[in-house]
Amino acid sequence: MVVSPVHLIAAPLAAAFLIPLLNKLYRDAARVVPGVVFLYNLSVSWILVNRVFRSGPIVEVIAGWKPPFGINLVMTPFSAVLVMLVSFMAFVIWLYGFRFKRSLKGGVVMYYEILQMMMAAGSLGIILTGDLFNMFVFVEITGITAIALTAFYRDRDGAEAGFKYMLLGSMASVFLLLGILLIYTQTGSLNMAQIAERMPAVATGVKVTALIFLLISLGTEAEMFPLNGWAPDAYSQAPSPTSAAFAAVLGVAAIYALARVGFTLYDHGTVSGFLIAMGFLTMLFAEMAAITQTNLKRMLAYSSMGQMGLAMIAFGIGSEAALFGALFLIINHAIIKSLLFMTGSYFIYNLNDKRLRALNGIHKRLPYVSFLFALGALAIVGFPPFSGFWSKFYILTAAGAKQMMPLIIGILAVTVIEMTYYLRVIGRIYFAKEESEPASHKPSIQALVAMTSLAVLIIVLGLYPDLIAGFLHRASMFLLDKQTYIQTVLHLS
Amino acid sequence: MGIIYVLGILIIGALAAFFVDDLNRKWTGPVAMLAGFGAAAAFAFLPGGIVRWRILGFSMHWETDALAGFFAWIVLGLSALALMYSVKYMEGKARQGYFYASFLTSVAGMFGVAVSKDLLSFFIFWEIMTWTSFLLAIYNAYYGVETKGIKYIIFSAIGAYAMLTAIVLALGQYHSLEFSDLMAAGAFRFSSGNWYIPVLLLLGFAVKAAVLPLHVWAPAVYPKTPMSFTAVFSGAMSKMGILGMLLILTGIFRSATGWELTLVRWVLGWLGGLTAAWATLQAIRQNDAKDLLAWSSVAQLGYIVTAVSTGTRLGLMAALYLALLHAAFKGSLFMVAGAVEKQAGTTDFRRISGLIKRMPWTFLTALIAIISLAGIPPLGGFVGKWLLYESLISETHAYFLVILIFFASTSAFLYSYRFLFGLFLGQEEEEAKQITEVSWWMLIPMLALSAVSVVTGMYPGLIFRPAARALESIGLPAGQWDMSILSNVWGNQTDVFTVGSTVGILFVLWALFITFKGKKNTRWLTTKEISTSGEIPAPEDNCTFQRGFFQPFERAVGRLYRSSMDQLWEDIGAALEAFFGFIRKIYTGNAQTYAMYVIIFVVLLILFRNYIF
Repeated sequence: MVVSPVHLIAAPLAAAFLIPLLNKLYRDAARVVPGVVFLYNLSVSWILVNRVFRSGPIVEVIAGWKPPFGINLVMTPFSAVLVMLVSFMAFVIWLYGFRFKRSLKGGVVMYYEILQMMMAAGSLGIILTGDLFNMFVFVEITGITAIALTAFYRDRDGAEAGFKYMLLGSMASVFLLLGILLIYTQTGSLNMAQIAERMPAVATGVKVTALIFLLISLGTEAEMFPLNGWAPDAYSQAPSPTSAAFAAVLGVAAIYALARVGFTLYDHGTVSGFLIAMGFLTMLFAEMAAITQTNLKRMLAYSSMGQMGLAMIAFGIGSEAALFGALFLIINHAIIKSLLFMTGSYFIYNLNDKRLRALNGIHKRLPYVSFLFALGALAIVGFPPFSGFWSKFYILTAAGAKQMMPLIIGILAVTVIEMTYYLRVIGRIYFAKEESEPASHKPSIQALVAMTSLAVLIIVLGLYPDLIAGFLHRASMFLLDKQTYIQTVLHLS
Repeated sequence: MGIIYVLGILIIGALAAFFVDDLNRKWTGPVAMLAGFGAAAAFAFLPGGIVRWRILGFSMHWETDALAGFFAWIVLGLSALALMYSVKYMEGKARQGYFYASFLTSVAGMFGVAVSKDLLSFFIFWEIMTWTSFLLAIYNAYYGVETKGIKYIIFSAIGAYAMLTAIVLALGQYHSLEFSDLMAAGAFRFSSGNWYIPVLLLLGFAVKAAVLPLHVWAPAVYPKTPMSFTAVFSGAMSKMGILGMLLILTGIFRSATGWELTLVRWVLGWLGGLTAAWATLQAIRQNDAKDLLAWSSVAQLGYIVTAVSTGTRLGLMAALYLALLHAAFKGSLFMVAGAVEKQAGTTDFRRISGLIKRMPWTFLTALIAIISLAGIPPLGGFVGKWLLYESLISETHAYFLVILIFFASTSAFLYSYRFLFGLFLGQEEEEAKQITEVSWWMLIPMLALSAVSVVTGMYPGLIFRPAARALESIGLPAGQWDMSILSNVWGNQTDVFTVGSTVGILFVLWALFITFKGKKNTRWLTTKEISTSGEIPAPEDNCTFQRGFFQPFERAVGRLYRSSMDQLWEDIGAALEAFFGFIRKIYTGNAQTYAMYVIIFVVLLILFRNYIF
């Protein structure tokens, strides 16, 4: 079958527009169609990933306008890994949310499914595009769908969370647009490869100002401190599958965009110190805030921010080992944090209470879900033999190779905080005296399959990380190789 | 390939126990026990061999040399017995699948630590053993949800991450994690310029070995864990810290002289000595057998750390000897506490006493273990103490340290006495009448461990031989040893076998005499049969002798108790928590504030752009 990266974005977008029509024909179309689309996406990305790793990056020219004119999609090994991850996670999250709001007929569910699909399409777009303005468009698509999903529950809290997200999100868009504008006036191009080529000639003052604008906007999306005020509310108010998608789809795209700007548009050396410092601050403040939380989803949200901070640190260090660690961390974060949100949501669904205190002794009612949550918690803290260990270890190794002792000690000190609050929750789930009366919302089969497959992945990647190590090494090497990127895109034969 | 089989049996056993529990609760314990004995048998009969494999470009290297074998035997032997004990001990308790799965995984972790020959696999197994033991430590109840109960994992994490920092820095510096490579490159020397690598590693080991300022988790956690695991927790897991210290300090010990050795002897030796003294004083005042044993464990580990710190032939022999023997007697003592807890429902000295008639075999175990612990001839513990003193006096000339250790081990008599007397001697309580002896499933492991103390008392060479081989395998000279003759540098000699058998025969004769004589003339009283002060106690009054036990002693040294390391750590914890609460306020939840943050951040970045980018 002839497939191209365009399909990855076009299929969900087209399906999103068609769903209202299909829904008229078949009652459950809104539930089924996204699954079909995501499955299609998954197989397309599998084919493409193989192609990329076998025969080099794919550059897809849209409408016959060769770069630097027109819009093009670039699938490098680095983006291929993330595309695969996002496609897979989108599918798993759809599976998990298959019976979401089963009681509500029609409209509401349809909106939810459409928005989820648009968010996935936008995220894939951010990762695939080779055009800066096009990236802005996709950032807007994901941003707006994410805001709509945050405000999905039409209550006070949902509206408030949506408003915060919208305020910060629109500021981010403004800065992104300003940054792109500055870059366009200086280099006369919107094509990322061409910008990268012409960037050295740009005056430093303008260059840095544009960089600041880009970092501010993408940092907002990637939950960088102090721009991440929207995150705790958005994560905790959004429907549960969406919270998982924020971590596994949106977060991946955001951190990708940050890395692309830092490594391709600019030189890594320029942003290195900034990313390390801000990453560490993000991690530090997020984990310190997380330990004081009394609300499960907020705790997980702060923990997400902490993980993003660690990923920024890794990109900041910028050696091959660090990028490997960063990619592995993004994968782990997507898998594990989704698992935590999925299982955590079942607790909340059963208890009707988001407070941590309500979790006491819940394992008696939801033994399997509790087991998966505990597994996820141990994995995300980085206990061997789970996958979380390897990513953290690799990042630390990269820092160790540069003898950054204060950074290593800092990261590990923050990890102690993280470990404390996660294990406290495990303690509550298993050993505290039960307080609330039983309810009975057993997980659906689809959700069980989704959660189990994530748990299996955590264990398999933990015991046998070499399974993906080859891909990740190639991907991280390619991100460092700016010249090849420029060559491949601009000099199409 | 023996290593793979041992690990495989343990892991499969863990999974099997986890799933069998759902099918039939009765079989969980036996399955786990089989796995425990199976692993020990596999280790005994299959050649250990060398396992090497690569993961993510790091090479893992496991090997059973003599040192690994020595510690692996402590782990596997004690665990197998503890699992056997556990079958009846855990009978009727909830979540057995969980318990045994964690138990066996933890044993696998400890075994892995023992056989690891590179830092990465050492760390991985170390972490596995840590989190599984955390799961077991919170088994009984999730005590102190707020700050207290999580102590163990926080301390473990600090220790483990100190290790991890050292590991990644060492990797960055020397591009290898093999112990042998690092040793050859001098990575573990303070004089190498990377002094922080050995220091951080030692910090990590010190946490597990419960050395002084980092010991507070042990007394908090040991008593709360189910006793069948505490036996392993205190007996075997803490020894992994000792193993680590040995591995790291070998390089320094080999150099025989120099300021590094002096530094180790002073710092580690004194920390060990102070730990022993302080923990002994704490143990004396405990009112609960489990708490007492927990503190006593900390104290005993202090001796071992001191013994390691000497770095001399005799000192290291003493360390290994004490490590194995401590596993035996402390293992059996925790089992005794578990047996009493199971039969009497409590181990509080103030609520039970006089169990000797009800639980004679348990008493026998406790007696042997306590004699061994106190270091009284003719049992095994004596030999270990002897070696320790001799090495401190004749080899390192640390006379003040000897005084400190001597003070600690004499004070240990006080708590030894309290333990023995509190539970088993004294007058019998009315409620104790229906207490019966525990099942043989529990007695056999206890007696087997007691046998270790008795046999090594007469043939200490049984431990000296593997200990000497272990030391030679890491290139350290081993002390002179003989199967059952102790000698000192001044030329004195004692045949401990003769001493042991003489004392043993006398003891048996005396016991027979007391038993038969006592049968006729003794009138047994209970605590309620007192009428001296004209007051007749009601049946519910507690008249046990243990009320206010050692009160004069406490009055004498009471000042010491007021300062508590525990309190200091808790204050630090509370302060941090308050600080986090303050920091959390950055996220005000107010959209305007967040927007302001963005603007301020932009302005700051633009203002300082020349410095930042």
